[in-house]
Amino acid sequence: MSNHGNEIDLRSVVRGAAFVPSLAILTALIVIWAATGAGYFWPMWAALGLAIPTALWYAVRWARLRPKGATRWYAMQAAVSVVIVCTNLAVWAMSGGGFFWPIFPAVALGVLLALNPLFFRPDQRKLEVRVDELTRTRSGALDVQATELRRIERDLHDGAQARLVALSMQLGRAEERLADHPDSAALVRQAREEATAAIRELRDLARGIAPPVLADRGLVAAIEALASRSTVKVDVDGQLDHRLPPVVETAAYFVVAESLTNVAKHAPGANVRVTVHLDGAMLVVEIVDNGPGGANPAGGGLTGLKQRVEALDGRLEIHSVAREGTVVWAVLPCE
Amino acid sequence: MRVVVVEDSALLREGIVALLAENGIDVVAQADDGPGLLRIVDGHKPDLAICDVRLPPTFTDEGIRAALEARRRHPDLAILVLSAYVEPVYTGELLAAGDGGIGYLLKERVSEVRTFVDSVKRVANGGTALDREVVSALIADRNRSGDRAELEALTPRERETLELIAQGRTNAAIAREMVVTLGAVEKHVSNIFGKLDLPAGDDDHRRVLAVLAYLRATGGG
Repeated sequence: MSNHGNEIDLRSVVRGAAFVPSLAILTALIVIWAATGAGYFWPMWAALGLAIPTALWYAVRWARLRPKGATRWYAMQAAVSVVIVCTNLAVWAMSGGGFFWPIFPAVALGVLLALNPLFFRPDQRKLEVRVDELTRTRSGALDVQATELRRIERDLHDGAQARLVALSMQLGRAEERLADHPDSAALVRQAREEATAAIRELRDLARGIAPPVLADRGLVAAIEALASRSTVKVDVDGQLDHRLPPVVETAAYFVVAESLTNVAKHAPGANVRVTVHLDGAMLVVEIVDNGPGGANPAGGGLTGLKQRVEALDGRLEIHSVAREGTVVWAVLPCE
Repeated sequence: MRVVVVEDSALLREGIVALLAENGIDVVAQADDGPGLLRIVDGHKPDLAICDVRLPPTFTDEGIRAALEARRRHPDLAILVLSAYVEPVYTGELLAAGDGGIGYLLKERVSEVRTFVDSVKRVANGGTALDREVVSALIADRNRSGDRAELEALTPRERETLELIAQGRTNAAIAREMVVTLGAVEKHVSNIFGKLDLPAGDDDHRRVLAVLAYLRATGGG
């Protein structure tokens, strides 16, 4: 902020420094003109000479306020063109009018201005195409990632975990047969316990990806499961006639899970209503409670949710009114 | 005792069949998917079906749905689900399917051969076998909601006993597990039922149901 302030101060000093001598010179010239008989008012040419750089300075400053890139260059060109056309008009008027020659440069500059988009706009169009493409590939990448994670979760259960279970079972049977050899039996038991620990770790890993009921039965069933295990009273109103992309299901699930956790923590006496529905190609999730309100939308959990939703080009809003309750509202595109 | 086994991993299925055979339990048929479960249950009229949750063709909750359908068709059929994970929704649905003859164990419990065989026999005889992780999830739910004081009034030994009851163990099995006398277990049990104000029953089975009903009361919803 202070740097910004200094910059402005510096500019006004420069402007002041330029104005004072300009006015002084002009005044001196007018005095000389008056002293020499006040004939043809020639000091106006000096005024014009001083006005041109000032006008240019303002024009450039105005253009620099435009958004960076093609738009700024276009503004710069337009501003300079206006200064040139005005200068020409002034010269034409000051030299007594007559044939209106300023029309030619004005038309030429106008044509150049009209042609500008052909030279600069392609960049902008390219950018727009690129933004489109990035949006598409990003949500595509997220979707592929979520699908892959689900596949990994399934493979963990059906592949590695099934093999480990078979292994631990064989070890268990071996242990039974070694009843007469306690030392060997103890070794086998250790091996079996290691295998069981590995199975537990795989299970925890898989659960972190998505709870089984979400993968198996979809969003509404998973939200109902959350509601039935919540310590606050939760009504669920949701009907989806088809499964949504895994990435959307997972994000929506965590929005509801986090919101219910927050209600249980901060408004244990509240009633909650969760609604889930599709509005065209948008999934709308709303969690409304009648608790004491005052939720901080910048809180850690809520910020994480917002990022998760925004990564899918969705929107998450939190409205919390003291003594009335809190609404968490999320919209997720599910193309 | 006539048992069928439904599991899509051949390695695991054949291992379970061999393990049960070694312990004198007769596996009369095997299948590897949901429709197969219904087919062999209809065809062989077994006492017990042991099945996985995720089965072909959907690889979602096919096993649970097929088992519940089989139970609906044959109310005497006992069901033991072997799962790769604990999912309260599924255990809730199984427990709601009727009183007794229900089991839900994590797959790795098959490696504790003697305990596993006990569970198989107990479920086939109309008892209950719930995995210790399922029970701790129920207790955690119960603890988070409603009245914590009741559970907190239990001594650590009583609490351990409560968990073992909820898993479906008999007094004798509990005594073995906790390395105490049968008399000590009986004392813990009567204390628990007194403190939680549960209807006392001589029958092991009714006792499990009372404890599970208590744990699921406010938690499971």
